[in-house]
Amino acid sequence: MTARPAVVSYQGNYAGSVSRFVAYAIDLTVTSAVFALALAAISYGVHIVTGHDVSWNRSSPVVIVLYVLWQFFYFGYSWAVSGRTFGMATLGIRVVRADGLVLEPRQGIVRALVFPLSFLLFGLGFLGILVQREHRALHDLIAGTAVIYSWDARAAHLRFLARQAELAPPP
Amino acid sequence: MEAIAQQVTERVVDLLVSALDVNELAARIDLNALLDRVDINRILKQVDLNALLDQVDVNAVLAQVDLKPLLDRVDVNDLVSQVDMDALVERTDLGAVIARSSGGMGTEALDALRSQAVGLDQFVDRWVQRLLRRKEPTPLAPPALLPAQAEL
Repeated sequence: MTARPAVVSYQGNYAGSVSRFVAYAIDLTVTSAVFALALAAISYGVHIVTGHDVSWNRSSPVVIVLYVLWQFFYFGYSWAVSGRTFGMATLGIRVVRADGLVLEPRQGIVRALVFPLSFLLFGLGFLGILVQREHRALHDLIAGTAVIYSWDARAAHLRFLARQAELAPPP
Repeated sequence: MEAIAQQVTERVVDLLVSALDVNELAARIDLNALLDRVDINRILKQVDLNALLDQVDVNAVLAQVDLKPLLDRVDVNDLVSQVDMDALVERTDLGAVIARSSGGMGTEALDALRSQAVGLDQFVDRWVQRLLRRKEPTPLAPPALLPAQAEL
């Protein structure tokens, strides 16, 4: 058989800005939804036990502190344990050490702690994802991490061809 | 008289042959020059290869072959890299096997989402490189993952 031009597998390449942004948007949606559900569950529990209604104000310092802590826990735990959050797993990207080796748990936690720094000065820290040669944001540079594609585009291409072959009428 | 001459000749030839060092004689012969004068193709044309092969017990020959050192010399990776996997999946039952084993709508949707995202990543990256007037190529992957990249 003659080989056609090979489909590139992006596995291991530095992940780009769109994948990272979409992954973060998914994470933000999921964490916010879970947080809202948790507050609703607490309100319901308090109402059942005490009979009093608890209403949460979004601008309340307690809610803000709880939300920030929840965010730290979600991102810190996900990166420390598996190097990726739910959103990153969906987009097929993961956090690794700057040299490409598996992330150490400590680095995952540090990354979560310094992550808010990238939001300072109108999100200037995120500019690194676009312009830095290794697509590393400010929090990546501080924590010594990088984000790569962890899915195999070639395997996906073969799955696509397999589905097409399955759908095609028999000769 | 003739019989005596015949006996003498045979005796002389015997003595001569025993006195000769055939190995030394053979060593002096320039076999290359000799072979240059031989038309091998003409000889081969006269050989009935089918008849010759009919007499060969291929199984017996193969039984004597040590396949392991032979296979050790084969670069399997190079061999596999020459296989057109796309055509293999499209034209054989392998495609159906992969399609049935690789999940349904979920996998398909994920593949599509990721492919779209990678496409947009590259589009944005190209424009940024152009705006920055960056000539030298940026690294594709972290150092530890580069050897794996080269193989892909």
